[in-house]
Amino acid sequence: MGMFDQGFDAIIIGAGHNGMALAGYLAKSGWSVAVLERRTEEGGGLCTEEVTEPNFLHNMHSNYHPLVGICPVYDDLELTENGVEYGHPDVQMGSIFADGTALTIHTDMQKTAASFARFSQKDADTWMRLWDEVSGYMDLMVRTLMYAPPIALNDITRALASWGVEDKSEFLTARLRSMSVAEFLDKHFENDRIKAMLAFHAAICAYQPHVKGLAVSYPVLLGKIANWHVCKGGSHRLAHALMRVIVKAGGRVFPQVPVTQIVVEGGRAVGVMTPDGFVRAHKLVASSIDVNQTFETLLEPGLVPERTRREVAEVKYQDASLFNVHVAMNGLPRYKAAAFDPAIDRAWILNIGFESLADFEHEFSLVRSGRLPERPRLNAAVNSLYDPTDAPEGKATGLLRVFAPFALEAGGPEGWGAVARQYGQVALDRWCDLMVDDDARSIVRRFATESPHEISQKMINYRFGDWMVGRIHPKNLLEHRPTDELAEYRTPIPGLYLCGASQHPHGYITFAPGYNALGVIAEDMGIDKWWDRV
Amino acid sequence: MSGTEHDVVIIGGGHHGLTCAAYLARAGVDVCILEGRHEWGGAVYTAEVTAPGFCHNIHANFMEFLHIMPFFADFDLPSLGARTIHPEIQAGMAFRDGRPPVLIYQSDMIEETAKSFAVYSKRDADAWRELKAKANMFELVMAAALYTPPAKWNQSESLPNPMLATQSSFSMFGLDEEMAFKTVRDCIDEYFEADEVRALLYRVAIEFAAPSLEWPGSGYFFLFACLFMPGCWRMMVGGTHRLNGAMVTACIKEGVTMRESSRVKRILLEGGRAAGVELVDGKRVLARRAVVSAVGLKDTLLDMVGAAHLSDYTRRRATHFKEGPDQVLGSVAMALHEPPKYKSARWDPGIDRAWYQVVGYDSAKDVLDYCRAGHCDRVPELPAAAVWVNSLWDATQAPAGKHNLTGWYFFPKASALSEAEWEEVRATYNDKFLRLYGEFAPNMTRENVIADYLHTPLDQERGMRMREGDFGHGAMSLDQVMGLRPFAGVAHHGTEIPGLYLAGSCMHPGGGVTAACGYNAVKVLCQDLELPPVWQNPRRFY
Ligand SMILES: Cc1cc2nc3c(=O)[nH]c(=O)nc-3n(C[C@H](O)[C@H](O)[C@H](O)COP(=O)(O)OP(=O)(O)OC[C@H]3O[C@@H](n4cnc5c(N)ncnc54)[C@H](O)[C@@H]3O)c2cc1C
Ligand SMILES: Cc1cc2nc3c(=O)[nH]c(=O)nc-3n(C[C@H](O)[C@H](O)[C@H](O)COP(=O)(O)OP(=O)(O)OC[C@H]3O[C@@H](n4cnc5c(N)ncnc54)[C@H](O)[C@@H]3O)c2cc1C
Repeated sequence: MGMFDQGFDAIIIGAGHNGMALAGYLAKSGWSVAVLERRTEEGGGLCTEEVTEPNFLHNMHSNYHPLVGICPVYDDLELTENGVEYGHPDVQMGSIFADGTALTIHTDMQKTAASFARFSQKDADTWMRLWDEVSGYMDLMVRTLMYAPPIALNDITRALASWGVEDKSEFLTARLRSMSVAEFLDKHFENDRIKAMLAFHAAICAYQPHVKGLAVSYPVLLGKIANWHVCKGGSHRLAHALMRVIVKAGGRVFPQVPVTQIVVEGGRAVGVMTPDGFVRAHKLVASSIDVNQTFETLLEPGLVPERTRREVAEVKYQDASLFNVHVAMNGLPRYKAAAFDPAIDRAWILNIGFESLADFEHEFSLVRSGRLPERPRLNAAVNSLYDPTDAPEGKATGLLRVFAPFALEAGGPEGWGAVARQYGQVALDRWCDLMVDDDARSIVRRFATESPHEISQKMINYRFGDWMVGRIHPKNLLEHRPTDELAEYRTPIPGLYLCGASQHPHGYITFAPGYNALGVIAEDMGIDKWWDRV
Repeated sequence: MSGTEHDVVIIGGGHHGLTCAAYLARAGVDVCILEGRHEWGGAVYTAEVTAPGFCHNIHANFMEFLHIMPFFADFDLPSLGARTIHPEIQAGMAFRDGRPPVLIYQSDMIEETAKSFAVYSKRDADAWRELKAKANMFELVMAAALYTPPAKWNQSESLPNPMLATQSSFSMFGLDEEMAFKTVRDCIDEYFEADEVRALLYRVAIEFAAPSLEWPGSGYFFLFACLFMPGCWRMMVGGTHRLNGAMVTACIKEGVTMRESSRVKRILLEGGRAAGVELVDGKRVLARRAVVSAVGLKDTLLDMVGAAHLSDYTRRRATHFKEGPDQVLGSVAMALHEPPKYKSARWDPGIDRAWYQVVGYDSAKDVLDYCRAGHCDRVPELPAAAVWVNSLWDATQAPAGKHNLTGWYFFPKASALSEAEWEEVRATYNDKFLRLYGEFAPNMTRENVIADYLHTPLDQERGMRMREGDFGHGAMSLDQVMGLRPFAGVAHHGTEIPGLYLAGSCMHPGGGVTAACGYNAVKVLCQDLELPPVWQNPRRFY
């Protein structure tokens, strides 16, 4: 029998974690489901490759998983039972400063406070109050702000006001909606480096510190500052587990089957075209890819209402992508700054180079102009610290990332071809400079780079190399993401849903867009929400 | 891990391990399969090693057994995503001076192949007509030989003798039985006279499991590699790894517990019996009924069981099992703007659409010298190769309008060169190849190459744990085939350690994506564990 002969109740476009999770829930609800994926591997951003040397496992895209233990999908789909294993680094983050000092963020917040206190006792105290507060309402915030369809910002503000938030909270105010993360930090903290460390956390979550209005989400982000997890055996292992969930429940995942068209009959989405021909969807098609492809490429223009077309054409993408250096190493790095704070040698996600809030402003404005910082500021991680199986025994796998323009001032996106290797070396040198001499000389075996342009070629839904699939900006969050009309996972075309990172809340390995689309689909289709425990 | 105890634990998630897992689960057994890498399928693998969107089969590419493979049919792998393409022109040899190419077509297109051979020799055309027709006729006999485990051997009996089967194959073909004792080269030279035809057949032979062209007693590989195989090669749509995808799906459907990133360090013995395994991270997975190893022979017996637990005989035979020097390849991958356009195409444009394209040799002797280099631990001076451009048939394997070339150099085994020497080869050999290539296909210039990559035998050894980079996990010389593979005492899949079975390529019939080693192990396991014979299929007699 051919693989597509019978059609499926649901066809999901794109086998990223969002599409696969949605498929898993639907399959477990008794639906026949197929996930069609254009790449050679399932997983989307859950992509692990040996790009330097055999046995060195490099997470090409998602590396830091933020919502393990918080996101309901892990339990609902029994991902642990299906083979996912996470490590939870005890030293979560760190900053190494040019003067040899260092800051560390621990899962044990007392230790974090002690590290902060070496820079400012006042800030350490503030941090503990802030932490106590955000961790107190974390569950509630995550449930309502992430794992539920978007609530309009006005409604959030109104709710906060009527709850009398300003009387009850030192940090939450209705004014956060007009503040930037940097302003929030300036308001509450005094030490530049502590502010830089905390802003760095926002920046790697794509919340650029100087964008007005993002402070409103910042407390939620801070509540997760100690919840970074490393997927043992590589992030791709999560994709394997999702695949098992789907197939066990009777669903199918078909990589290397690009969707070339969404087929509409009588105004309703009834299937898709692929190089293998038409595949029928008896109940729905859900697209987990970018809205530009969905509405501009996969649907015939005549089928897309004028408003949708107009708004989709205006969707904005991040102005900072990532330049990545994947490193095969002879061992774990030891930093000179360990003399100041020994914990830095065990810190997982490292900030190298951002020492004040101004540094972020400087860096991002450079990036916006298409230029490359001469001394790139890095975000660095060695997963082998917490997952030794990701490299041969005694060796280590490293990752450096630099915020970088998609299009270079010189040469545009393709301009990367000429500079990537050399810029990778520059980034490496900056990193090695911080290591003790022996390591600095001999730790690197080989490295490979991935430029923003390459990201966009590998993952065509990361338009302009945008890993969040839509910029993180008040105009493109909550009820505005990706457009006002498309924010509720439904589309003007009956039977066509949106379930990927383009949707609320945003990209990253959150499962939230897929989970929220599921909720909407369940309502529309009368599926019993067996997963909804509240 | 849900329940760290299972009926059967399988070590190694290459395609043989997966085959074994799927059938055993279907027989009602609680199976857990452990794979050391983050990815399943072992050498049934595809990776974007050059540039985004270019899929390269840097290991197995030519799927020549799918039409006879039990796993493929019994689990309806096409319905699980294993789609195939059967290119019409299967292999071709191009020439520097633009002479007409030599082409081999699909198995039943005998006349087309004969026509191409006839350009150089009427006699060779006739030889092909006769021999290929017989190969087609006897295909199921060959299949049965692949998919049947060698008989169990008792040390009191005389040794199994692979020559007997080989001799009878030659007589089945109506050829002199003595040919069984000859070299592959002798056979090719005896039946084919044109230098161009010989050159192509030599090259085809070395890659398709034929041991050294010049080892006596290898006659069977002439029949196998030159007559049975060319014509059967199918391409997996989307890359070879898609076959793995379907196999994995089959395993999950049957209820196999699958754990990747789970490298086995040792096999646990209890009262002399294989009772489970321990992983490198210390976790244990216990086996109530059997441990099946689908990884290398030495890995299983010497490393995981440990020499101390083996009889002298087994330790000796395992220690001296040979990997390489045949079956060792370096893989070249190139992302291209346009596919190669050969000079020889002016005589027959078919060469540009041949799937397996041989480039770089001017004569049969060139091919011999090339092979001899590898056997003498040297990288061939002549940087010739066999290549394929899958995007000519399957547009999903490269970005729109671009092409993915992949190919093989015949290289010495991994230990022949130091790590630094292999790095030197990696840094220089593709360039040398390209310079030579341009003389056969003028558009093959540096400008046409978007990015390139070379996978060395050392990479192969480290990545897939294929010792010496030997793609069959053990040489296929006369002393290591059929009832002697890997050695007589374990050729029937059971070992002297009760409860421990072997199911990888170190078993008969050796390397290649046959799914036979796993399938044959299942036959033995069904008997030993008294399971229903789920492998039987009324439409198949093997
Ligand atoms: C360099 C980089 C670093 C990152 N780091 C992190 C990190 O550390 N932590 C983190 O949580 N996140 C990280 N991310 C972001 C994260 O990977 C993504 O936001 C997330 O994977 C999006 O998930 P998704 O399921 O919505 O989409 P994806 O994972 O992108 O999946 C969508 C799938 O659709 C497929 N597709 C596209 N077009 C078609 C078509 N026409 N037909 C069929 N299939 C199609 C794509 O090939 C892809 O597989 C990073 C991303 C990048 C690029
Ligand atoms: C370059 C090259 C080209 C080839 N071309 C072809 C071709 O065109 N056609 C063809 O038919 N064949 C081809 N082959 C041969 C074919 O790919 C192999 O013979 C076949 O895939 C071997 O299958 P296997 O299951 O025995 O072993 P493998 O594929 O090697 O799988 C063994 C698995 O065991 C795992 N493993 C090893 N040690 C451990 C451990 N301690 N714990 C857990 N897991 C472990 C490995 O990671 C691996 O995944 C080629 C091979 C190579 C290398």
